[in-house]
Amino acid sequence: MPRRSRSAHGRARANRRPQRHKDVLHRQGGHRANDFRCVGCRLDVSSEAPGTTHRNHCPNCLASLHVDRRIPGDRAASCRGRMEALSMSVRPDGEWMIIHQCRSCGELSANRIAGDDNALILVRLAVKPLRDPGIARRLFLVP
Amino acid sequence: MSNTKKTLSRTSQNILKIDTFSCIRCGLTVSAAAGDGIRRNHCPSCLHSQHVQDRVEGGPSDCQGRMSPIAIAVLRTGDWMVIHRCVRCDELTANPICADDNQLILMRIAVRPLAQPPFPLETFGDL
Repeated sequence: MPRRSRSAHGRARANRRPQRHKDVLHRQGGHRANDFRCVGCRLDVSSEAPGTTHRNHCPNCLASLHVDRRIPGDRAASCRGRMEALSMSVRPDGEWMIIHQCRSCGELSANRIAGDDNALILVRLAVKPLRDPGIARRLFLVP
Repeated sequence: MSNTKKTLSRTSQNILKIDTFSCIRCGLTVSAAAGDGIRRNHCPSCLHSQHVQDRVEGGPSDCQGRMSPIAIAVLRTGDWMVIHRCVRCDELTANPICADDNQLILMRIAVRPLAQPPFPLETFGDL
């Protein structure tokens, strides 16, 4: 590539059109202010979740972050620890709930699953108690 | 821990063998010490507990609500834990199971997610 002279390069920069004004805000308070990056798998997750108004865990690896205390969205917890899915629970109406446990402080929380959660990870979490090899002995099926 | 406030002040080391509590749900009178010497925190028959210890502050709780078992969690060691939820204040606790707990209720909690799946499970047979 032929090298340009310094003067020609400077003139090109001076003639350049100023950068266009951007009215879409990508920073704090912008249209993607509530998006987050998962602490477990580093997936960029949007805040819109099908079936729920509170996206609180990663749809890929179900990891969450300890930011809320008792009320969803209150951001009152100062822990900021990583919460991993511990077990699966069912409401009386048949809806699945993920029990998260904070790796940092041990706090537990129950969260509804979202419509785009990874179904394989959800089922793997649900059958986790049944994978125990000593389960037949516990049920007195074998002596 | 499902015991009265009077016995809460005793630590787990010096509980008496004759110490009992009655279950808040089924009324069964059970000994506070389990067979292997550790302190019982839920009824072995119906697995319900009582909210007497606050998890956040660590001290005794004023709630005294009934705590119903909602889920089974598995530790890395393979031991099962019962997740209790207070019906009054929605507090969650995790307690280890005892050897004489009702296996039928434990298994019913464990298989309950698979009885009502939110999506068809037939596709997982191919994986």
